[in-house]
Amino acid sequence: MTDRSGLSRRSILLGGAGASLTIASPFVHVTPARADKGEIVVAGWGGSRTTAMREVMFTPFEKATGIRVRDDGPPEAAKVKAMVDSGNITWDILDTDIPAILAMVNAKLLEPIDYSKLDKARLGKIPPVLHHPYGLGHLIYSFNIVYNTKAFPNGTQPKTWADVWDGVKFKGARSFPFRGGLSPQLEFAAIADGVPADKVYPLDIERAWASHDKLRPLVTKWYANHAEAIQLLSSGEIDICCTIGPRGLVAKKDGAPIDVEFAGGKLAPDNWAIVKGARNADAVYQFLNFVIDGKVQAELAKRIPYGPSSQDAFAHLSEAEAKQLNTSPDNLAKQFWTDIDWWGKTAENGKTNNENQIERYARWMVKRG
Amino acid sequence: MTLVAASAVPSVKAARAWRARPGLMIAGALAFCAIVYLLPMLSLFGWAFQGPTGSGASLAQLSRLIGDDTYHYAFFTTFEIAAITTLICALIGYPYAYLMATTGPRLAMLLTAAVMIPFWTSVLARSLAWMILLGRKGVVNEWLTGLGLLERPAALLFNSIGVQIGMVHVLLPFMVLPIWSILSRLDPGLPRAARSLGASPAAAFIHVTLPLSLPGLAAGATLVFMFAIGFYITPALLGGPNDLTIASLIEMVVRDLLDWPFGAMLSLALLGLVALVFACGAAFAGAGRIAGIEGR
Repeated sequence: MTDRSGLSRRSILLGGAGASLTIASPFVHVTPARADKGEIVVAGWGGSRTTAMREVMFTPFEKATGIRVRDDGPPEAAKVKAMVDSGNITWDILDTDIPAILAMVNAKLLEPIDYSKLDKARLGKIPPVLHHPYGLGHLIYSFNIVYNTKAFPNGTQPKTWADVWDGVKFKGARSFPFRGGLSPQLEFAAIADGVPADKVYPLDIERAWASHDKLRPLVTKWYANHAEAIQLLSSGEIDICCTIGPRGLVAKKDGAPIDVEFAGGKLAPDNWAIVKGARNADAVYQFLNFVIDGKVQAELAKRIPYGPSSQDAFAHLSEAEAKQLNTSPDNLAKQFWTDIDWWGKTAENGKTNNENQIERYARWMVKRG
Repeated sequence: MTLVAASAVPSVKAARAWRARPGLMIAGALAFCAIVYLLPMLSLFGWAFQGPTGSGASLAQLSRLIGDDTYHYAFFTTFEIAAITTLICALIGYPYAYLMATTGPRLAMLLTAAVMIPFWTSVLARSLAWMILLGRKGVVNEWLTGLGLLERPAALLFNSIGVQIGMVHVLLPFMVLPIWSILSRLDPGLPRAARSLGASPAAAFIHVTLPLSLPGLAAGATLVFMFAIGFYITPALLGGPNDLTIASLIEMVVRDLLDWPFGAMLSLALLGLVALVFACGAAFAGAGRIAGIEGR
């Protein structure tokens, strides 16, 4: 409780009687007390990702500006809703994906990003497709064909989505995601059915679902989170998986019999987003300007193999390092970007394409046959 | 009332004073429950009867629940899984509890430990352990193929077999303990009397022991069924596409769609069903026995 409301040990000591009173009354709404230079709270995914961010982003930013960065998370949209609804907002910046951002925009939980406050030169190195009104793409993940190298040694692996859909030529158990926002395989279903990757949007929904039906008997497990997918692949329970390529690369680095095929992959950004009612807008923009620097992003990419959004980052990376990243110029050319606008577009029934497809996905899943 | 008296700490003066005024203790407990349980529950009702735009009271969520057969399927699947789990638990749990209640003290201790030790382990850990055991390259399949009993690994995971193994393992103690509690207090003279009057062991069991232990069986079945319809982790990890439960859909509606009013309506429907199951069980076994405050 005290930690969440931003009370540091010092401010408790300084606050004296007042502070002890707030601690004594846990049901009273506490307004966070922030240090003079300001403080921002970044809600992210934790683990090695947050450790790396602290090393190359948070600590250097604190040194440069005197603004303290605290981390918290995970950045669950439901938690943001609870914060905004109750008026007890303890997060300023979120590091989150597009499905979550679309849901939060709908529920009016985010501040639009004021791009005029961002460094023009640094912003210019980030592809315009990543400048969403409510989220600035900074770390790129991608849905790729990830496979077990014991099941498919020496280049016998499926290389296209049509291969993945081909259960005769490519035997083996598949795993695809269920849940987690977007239905990422709908694009792949269309591509497997012959739609060229650069013509996949606007998505022909019925054609994609018809192709999706053909996938069903090949899929052994519809997984609920990406860690599960990697686990299933590493243990040999699954041979072919549609999951986040960079995660596959982390597992490969750790010695798992896994490899990633970037061709045909779908790129999607994790974004910086600003929580509605974030207290210190000035500090928020200072932070964003700091972390969109190509050099900072390059340092992050050396620690976690997700693609930097700034193409400037590749000037600071070796060729071998760049080859592993999904946004290196070479790999970028083999893949396509998620069309955020299409997924966020409101359909005839008043819901977004994203919401409609999530619900259709649930319906498709529970109806047997 | 007896509960309160029994749990009060003896030999301390203050405790004696508390014992004199059990009303105060109950009031404290009630206030606690009201804040942490009743208030959120009421807001659940509030959300469930909100209009789609959040304005005013409405039955929109209810009619959506009634009109969309996606959720009917999910409720049906959930019930089916729960019913099968309850049946298997009863078939395994009754003989087990009978053995526990009638055998010598040393074996009884061993049997109790075998039920209780897994009971204290987290459901998540146990479900993950089953994933390792039941997988295509898991321990069970390695043995079966190694011993030549199977040519190819059997599909034990990501289907209803996996779900049932995991759920029965997790919920079995809730079946065994109420049955054991009744069987262990059963006067052993009663079946003996039946036998002395010429009944075969089977007849003595069917006409004396079994009817007397039915309330325990009903209590166990109610508990297992109630837990099973709200289960999330085990079916999500061990199940396949045909084992999507209502709990998984509630999670999707609340977390991915941020549609809290509809999530609240689904939760209320689930709660109502649990209450219904409890009421049915209580009619057979008595509410106190199911809640575990009576019959020990």
